[in-house]
Amino acid sequence: MPASRSAHRSPSLWQATLLVARMELRSSLRDRQTAIYSVVLPICLYPILFWMMIQGALLVQGRHEHTTVQVAIARAPGATVPDKLVDAVRLAADAPAQGPHIERIEPEFVGYAPDAESAWAEWTARDPRADALLFFSPPDDQGNETPAILCYDSTRSASVLAHDRLAKRVKAHARDVRADRALEHGIDPSDLQGVNFSQRDLADDREKVAYILSMLLPLLLVVMAVMGAFFPAVDTSAGERERGTHETTMLLPVPRLAVHQGKILSVCALALFATGLNLLALGLSAGHLLEMIASGGKINVELPLAALAMVAPFAMLFTFSVSAIMCGIAALAKSFKEGQALLGPVQLLFIMPAMAGVLPGIELDLRTALIPVVNVVLVFRSLLRGEVLPIEYAMTALSLLIYAWLSIVFAVRVLSREALFLSTESTPLLGLLRFLRSPKGTR
Amino acid sequence: MTTPTDSPEQLDSVGIRTEGLRKVYSDSKRGRVVALDGLDLVCQRGEIYGLLGPNGAGKTTCLRMLSSVLSPTAGKAFVDGVEVSQDPLEVRRRIGFLSTSTGLYPRLTGRETLRYFGELQGMQAQQLEQRIEELIHVFELSGFVDGPGSSFSTGQKQKLSIARAVLHEPPVLILDEPTLGLDILASSAMIEFISSARSHNTCVLFSTHIMSEAERLCDRIGIIYHGRLLTEGTYDQLREETGEEYLDGVFLSAVRRADEELEV
Repeated sequence: MPASRSAHRSPSLWQATLLVARMELRSSLRDRQTAIYSVVLPICLYPILFWMMIQGALLVQGRHEHTTVQVAIARAPGATVPDKLVDAVRLAADAPAQGPHIERIEPEFVGYAPDAESAWAEWTARDPRADALLFFSPPDDQGNETPAILCYDSTRSASVLAHDRLAKRVKAHARDVRADRALEHGIDPSDLQGVNFSQRDLADDREKVAYILSMLLPLLLVVMAVMGAFFPAVDTSAGERERGTHETTMLLPVPRLAVHQGKILSVCALALFATGLNLLALGLSAGHLLEMIASGGKINVELPLAALAMVAPFAMLFTFSVSAIMCGIAALAKSFKEGQALLGPVQLLFIMPAMAGVLPGIELDLRTALIPVVNVVLVFRSLLRGEVLPIEYAMTALSLLIYAWLSIVFAVRVLSREALFLSTESTPLLGLLRFLRSPKGTR
Repeated sequence: MTTPTDSPEQLDSVGIRTEGLRKVYSDSKRGRVVALDGLDLVCQRGEIYGLLGPNGAGKTTCLRMLSSVLSPTAGKAFVDGVEVSQDPLEVRRRIGFLSTSTGLYPRLTGRETLRYFGELQGMQAQQLEQRIEELIHVFELSGFVDGPGSSFSTGQKQKLSIARAVLHEPPVLILDEPTLGLDILASSAMIEFISSARSHNTCVLFSTHIMSEAERLCDRIGIIYHGRLLTEGTYDQLREETGEEYLDGVFLSAVRRADEELEV
């Protein structure tokens, strides 16, 4: 075996980094757990999940529409029941089916009872299907009409449904009566209703959808970046120690920095891939769901591709931070299992600020642009809402760049400690600072 | 990198040299550990040097420092004329290292593993492919080289590991218990391979527990205990020195003597 080193031209630091990253990526993608969480989950699970939600919602809606409820009308001695109301309730009940939105009510006259509670008790004892009861009391001493009482059982869904339908009928009847009386007296019906007002939402459907997505997708960006980096980070550090290939990797004929950078790069690439795929799958599935729910299919929910494209550089810098920190922390563990345990609290460190970032009232400005995690959430929110805040975006990009660099420095510092070879057990999170002060390994 | 007393000829013939090599570290379980305590050792090119010692004697620490995986607390180590602390990267380029803890990447095929190391060594694509084919033939890897590392038997892993270690034709081979866990056939093939390295002017430093291997293979043997080199020499020199007939006896005699000295 003669020495033939002169024939070989060693790769540069960046070439070596890319070679290591390529190998780590190939290795990670061949790991079943990583492949499931990074690829299969976003492609299959979210569309299936949203499809199931839609089917579930439709099923519940359909069941409600076809549910027949039992209602009754009762009165105290001396009270009168407006015939028109009984007719209105009965009319609705007898109406032929005109599609899935027709609600069925079968009214029954119970008879006389001293009060609403007695009437309810008597009826429910007689008929276990009793759902809701409208009770009329006699006028008070001054001859004023006493409001009718609608009795139902809030612990039973059929009873709640009956309550809603009956209340709707009574309100409609009251409106009709007022209109008739106004006509009788030659006045405008609205004068009898006091202040006439209606609620009006001036946001258009697209804005509403953008708002909903801006509350949903930024949080998911963080969650997915964290989840996407989780398994590859554990796999390339603690997993490598468990598999016994750590020493092999440390013997690679390239600078250690290239090895560490390559590992971080591969984790970041996988996390970005998983995040992108997740956001795309979630955007499409959630968009479809919103389209169905928001306006009964009247609006067309478009995937915010421009916002997704514009957030990509921010997401990339953020994912670098996440990947580097996770690689650094997971490297403290001696086994895959311990690595997962160590990263549990770290996940929360990212997800909690992300949740704070989607709280109403917190907006992107020059101060929030400096808060890690929160800043990337706010930028994405702002982009989804179609805002243009160039200074705030530039500040966020700068701070993300600094955090990414600091995170990589941290990870490289952990990964280059000699204690990774010499320690016989995992280093707890609390021992991190002491670990970082331990002797550095060779270059 | 060199000492003033070394002549160019001497330097050229030295594969590995250590001077007062020492390693001390702290461990949460074991406290302060003196793994190696001033080791002086020389291994020439074309020589096979066997490092014998019980578990925890410091053999693996010594080999890890020589391969630049660990850095010395004190002292110096030279590999193929390069001081390990000064240029660890160049040392990694000049050695072939094999140990039970240098596992194979389980999700890469054997061929991918060889290609990966070759690329990182800076080998040109065509040259690399030729070399891989050559090694597949020499080490009889063809039956499994395209399967994932996780599917290999211990013997197959060891064969591929040797192929990986010699892929770039290094002038120095460092082997840590290379026959550990191998069956008699694989073990025999490994001994044959190590023996053949001598004819290629390669410097081979290997550690073992198995005395018969050391007897059969080594040009010189060093006995290491509690991080110190107790004695070294050819097999015949050691037998003469201790009056023992076999290497087991030589080893036990050296260790007992060291224990007695420690007690005194």
